[in-house]
Amino acid sequence: MIGRSTTSLIMRSPFYLKPSFYFRNLSVSAPKNDIIKIQSTDDFKDKVINSKVPVVVDFFATWCNPCRLLTPRLESIISENKGKVILAKVDIDEQSDLALDYEVSSVPVLVAIKNGKVQQRMVGLQDTDKLRKWIEQFASEDSEVKIKA
Amino acid sequence: MVLINATERSFNDGTYDYDLAVIGGGSGGLACAKEAVNLGAKVAVLDYVTPSPQGTKWGLGGTCVNVGCIPKKLMHQAAILGESIHEAVAYGWEVPSIEQVKINWSSLTEAVQNHIKSVNWVTRVDLREKKIEYINGLGEFKDPHTLVATLKNGNKKELTAKNILIAVGGRPHYPDIPGAKEYCITSDDIFSLSHPPGKTLVVGAGYIGLECAGFLNSLGFPATVLVRSVPLRGFDQQMAGLVISEMQEKGVVFQHKCIPLSVEKLESGQLKARWLNTETQQQSEDVFDTVLLATGRYALTEQLNLKAAGVTTLDDHGKVVSSDESTNVPHIFAVGDVLSARPELTPVAIHAGRLLARRMLGGGKQHMDYDNVATTVFTPLEYGCVGLSEETALERYGADNIEVYHAYYKPTEFFIPQKNIRNCYLKAVVRREAPCQVLGLHFVGPAAGEVIQGFAAAIKCGLTMEQLMNTVGIHPTVAEEFTRLNITKRSGKDPNPASCCS
Repeated sequence: MIGRSTTSLIMRSPFYLKPSFYFRNLSVSAPKNDIIKIQSTDDFKDKVINSKVPVVVDFFATWCNPCRLLTPRLESIISENKGKVILAKVDIDEQSDLALDYEVSSVPVLVAIKNGKVQQRMVGLQDTDKLRKWIEQFASEDSEVKIKA
Repeated sequence: MVLINATERSFNDGTYDYDLAVIGGGSGGLACAKEAVNLGAKVAVLDYVTPSPQGTKWGLGGTCVNVGCIPKKLMHQAAILGESIHEAVAYGWEVPSIEQVKINWSSLTEAVQNHIKSVNWVTRVDLREKKIEYINGLGEFKDPHTLVATLKNGNKKELTAKNILIAVGGRPHYPDIPGAKEYCITSDDIFSLSHPPGKTLVVGAGYIGLECAGFLNSLGFPATVLVRSVPLRGFDQQMAGLVISEMQEKGVVFQHKCIPLSVEKLESGQLKARWLNTETQQQSEDVFDTVLLATGRYALTEQLNLKAAGVTTLDDHGKVVSSDESTNVPHIFAVGDVLSARPELTPVAIHAGRLLARRMLGGGKQHMDYDNVATTVFTPLEYGCVGLSEETALERYGADNIEVYHAYYKPTEFFIPQKNIRNCYLKAVVRREAPCQVLGLHFVGPAAGEVIQGFAAAIKCGLTMEQLMNTVGIHPTVAEEFTRLNITKRSGKDPNPASCCS
């Protein structure tokens, strides 16, 4: 359960500098099929739950500044991994039910899904190093790993 | 002895889908729904926003969150910050090219709208966590226990409920003049307006009109206000006068005793507004970039098909008349702006909704006390008040039985930037008869809302003038001025503070 305090911390943190454009220019563009935007619940089932490749789901909102900061960091790490892990982006306002089903109460939330099962969650803006470690570890683990509560 | 756990108690014998259905997901409806769930009820909330004539629509949460208190307070804050930049220079801040400081309207509206959207989401999550069914549909009665919700795609959804709460609130009223709906905007539109409003005509001098004119003017958009009768009707008129006077000194133009006649669009895209002075019968016109109508709000009861429910307790304006949030149909209730002759304030709706849920479902006995509700008008110089206006007190108790303590004051932080102190004023309306109970407190000045809130609690506790005078102030604050009041209007003494070097 993510309480209101977390919500206010993350959603209202003063990252209003809008450096996303700056970062975006620097980020290495990934092959397109590595980064997908989820269009519907069925689309999610098809591309995330049934994916043979591990998926990092990025629950984001257009109004969330930390989300904007996270995007270029995420995208560059995904491209570094060259197809070993997919990034699925879910706009919580477009796919509200999906977001609510995954208990997204504040954004951004990253959910790591392998073979249809949630392996890990990470809430809030992360620095690139931590993000890279988290994604690489998750993408490279062969066995079904312990689910982090 | 059998103890019943409230959270496990079931109210529904299976006859209805829900114990409570709430029409309207605003402050009042949501507060009642959440409290009902805490008491173990099964609850559904219907919420739907019909777009404004200009096409503005918004999310869950009602007027306050989307097109009311929240965005207006944020824009008021933006206005105050702009002024502070100029004051900062007097305090020693080196502000490069101060004359070029200006607002970026789209950055402001984007920031404001982003905050609103985050609140919409938190509200949605809250409903899900509390297991309240949220139906994004326009609700109306089919019969006393059945509602039909028309969803966005046109589909209809029927549901039945043991109890039903009408919490549909209100929307801006459009005067019946040519061009009103075609070209004018209202408070529904201003906070998300896609372009800077420019030179603006505000029609109406209630608190919404004055607040909008105030922040627009301070943001650098010249504002003119048409005042039909008096500004801030229902509020203490001496205080309203000070609010107006401060706005005038800041550059807002007031056209008194004027009603709008027409608004037409010019080829330039600008709007030509014409109005009539009802005293002199003189007509005037001017060209504006934006015309904002703030001529009152109407309750959204018409679209509810109340006839089918048998609800008849409505006033001439379609508002629900009720002393205790009930209607003539025992299981149908109403809270919030939809109620007749009640303060249209979010915290009032919340409190009334919560207490209603406890009476409806939890055996509660407490009723909403609509007296002594504090409020604040967020004009450039704010006006906060609680309790009776001077006029109402005089009318109710007679001039011989009322004492008014008053004072002009000088906020410490106003000296250095030499801000206007002429309208910084406060007063206490007090009964003369022992124990000299305080009936009303009024304050015009910075942070008026913050000043008045605590005093509202004191008034609830039956504050007397002696107790107020024996309260030690916090120095230097503006709120402490209340503890220093000692000059009565009756004495005729000068209420201006002793002056030193200013």
